[in-house]
Amino acid sequence: MEVKKTETKAFSNLIVSMALLVFEVWAWLQSNNIKTSKGAAVQPSTFPRIMIIGMAVFTVILLIQSLLKLKGMKADDPLAEKSETLNFIKDKGVLAALFVILLCVGYVFFFKSLGYVVVSFLLCGIIMWMIGLRSPVKLILISLLVPLGMWLVFYKMLKVNIPMGVLQFLKDLVDKI
Amino acid sequence: MDWNLLFSSYANVFLDPQVLLMTLLGAAGGVLLGAIPGMTATMGVALLIPFSFGMDLIPSIGLLLGIYCGGMYGGSISAILIHAPGTPSAAATLLDGYPMAQKGEAGKALSVAMFSSFCGGVIGALIMTFLSPLVAKVAMKFTSAEMLMLAVFGLSVIISISGKSIAKGLISAFFGMLLCTIGLDPTYSKQRFTFGVTSLKGGLSFIPVLIGLFAVAEVIAGVERILSGRESAQAKSTEKITRVLPDGKTIAQTAPNILTGGIIGTFIGAIPGAGGDIAVFVSYAFNKGLSKHPEKWGTGIPNGVAATESANNGCSGGAMIPLLSLGVPGDSVTAILLGAFIMKGIQPGPMMYVSELPTVYKVFAALMLANLAMLLVGCAGVRVFAKIVSLEKRMLYPIILVVSLLGAFSINKNVFDIGVCVFFGVIGWLMNKYEFPLSPILLALILGPMCEQNFVRFMDLNQGNFGAIIHYPIAIGFFVVAVGVVIFSLINQRKINQREAANKAAAAE
Repeated sequence: MEVKKTETKAFSNLIVSMALLVFEVWAWLQSNNIKTSKGAAVQPSTFPRIMIIGMAVFTVILLIQSLLKLKGMKADDPLAEKSETLNFIKDKGVLAALFVILLCVGYVFFFKSLGYVVVSFLLCGIIMWMIGLRSPVKLILISLLVPLGMWLVFYKMLKVNIPMGVLQFLKDLVDKI
Repeated sequence: MDWNLLFSSYANVFLDPQVLLMTLLGAAGGVLLGAIPGMTATMGVALLIPFSFGMDLIPSIGLLLGIYCGGMYGGSISAILIHAPGTPSAAATLLDGYPMAQKGEAGKALSVAMFSSFCGGVIGALIMTFLSPLVAKVAMKFTSAEMLMLAVFGLSVIISISGKSIAKGLISAFFGMLLCTIGLDPTYSKQRFTFGVTSLKGGLSFIPVLIGLFAVAEVIAGVERILSGRESAQAKSTEKITRVLPDGKTIAQTAPNILTGGIIGTFIGAIPGAGGDIAVFVSYAFNKGLSKHPEKWGTGIPNGVAATESANNGCSGGAMIPLLSLGVPGDSVTAILLGAFIMKGIQPGPMMYVSELPTVYKVFAALMLANLAMLLVGCAGVRVFAKIVSLEKRMLYPIILVVSLLGAFSINKNVFDIGVCVFFGVIGWLMNKYEFPLSPILLALILGPMCEQNFVRFMDLNQGNFGAIIHYPIAIGFFVVAVGVVIFSLINQRKINQREAANKAAAAE
């Protein structure tokens, strides 16, 4: 079955390269905010700007390549294959991936207040349930024991102090033992 | 060379039960630490150095070298099994190691990694024993010009790790180099791209970015694959591990890669400031370039694992060369080892070869022993490590996620780093989706700071005249080799694309 032009890898390359060009323009504008240093042979903004230019040159190459491909693309061209999508309405997988990202953002925000073990228990449990693990025993045991075990290894053996939040009493208990 | 003294020193070290025990313990600790994403060999050595305070010099050096060598191998375990390199030096191992695990050959990948690490370490130790004064002399002539061109040489391998699209590989590389410029600039301390965020002043930490790009991105993609029906949630590896060491055929097949990897690793390790993280990519690109079937590299072949793992363990011997002969550490682990020597009242440097020659030889022997200990620990652990992938994916992915996020936190004990890790997880997921290779970013993150610092230093020293580089023959040599590598990689990539197209056409017929 022939793939629609707008669903090909060549088309997605075109969109990505345009998005990258926007990013590069933005990065260049941001580099104007870098303060200069008097008498310096190389200004602090020089190196990042060289990198932005390098990135832009190859982005333009990618853009031209994509345009040329789209113009005269054969069906057996690798870039004529169907591209991955970010459409979360059509693809349940993308929606799940976005949900995992959202969970991770929540994880960062609540890491200190709830503590590593609790946020990891929630993150681990929700993802496992989401991808099909339904046994409550396995769900609870894995989500609880893995973070707890990791915390013990890091805290007791590697001496890394990890926030325990609402389970601070566990730390005090382990310290006493 | 005093052969009698060398042999007696080896005998003293290999027959001392305390040294044997400490080295074995160090190797076991190193392998375990290295396997945890976020825990590097440097951290392992730094964590365990207090335990060596009460010991004699050689047992304590054995302990620390055991951690060093074990950590180098340990990093490959998580790279192969969960797509999260335990240490930066294992970053290139995942290029072929992880695809091998996905094909159900995790045990084989682990055993090849272990065997290659051991051989690379032995090659490094042997070169260190015989060539240390000579190599150190060459390496110490390096000024900012040579270091800049060394970084350029390192970057020249980007094309060969870029995959199908060179343009995408180079965009990734420049993006990685741009990321390195976030924070205070290294020369004038002016803020760049910090947006008023205090935590960004110090720049992005390498490990959280590494974990995010590879491990977190893989978890997000894995969940997506399961929910869109492209992967089974109950999928697990059913590989039966019948042997802990690679078979004769695999050893014969990978021997050239192991040998070249070990040599490349040792020489790069001998250059202060350049370590296993650079050597692995150089070795991978070099071996891929020489391969008759470069198109197979990156699809899960033992040669890729052998080329990288022998290089990073070869570095351990290489890094000891400037430490012992000039008193200058080759990398962060040897910097800690330098401290251990000084604590014991021994000052490494040229005089050490005169006044402390027996100690020098014992250190050579201890490094050899550390590699043997790593092999023993690795053999004992292969079956256990490989069990990790026999877990169902629906359990494995969430576990990888919480372990990885903790690894990101543990580097600076900073929640901001978890945010960085998640952010780069998303970037990595998107890049994978649109077929942008991740490895060039990694290489750029490693070489970017080295490139910029030496570029600025060189330009300042030469009043902004870049043309002055022609007065530095070693630098020009590196540049010529870099150009050669680029041309060679371009030709090679063309061949790969042609062969792939031909294979596809043949399959269609």
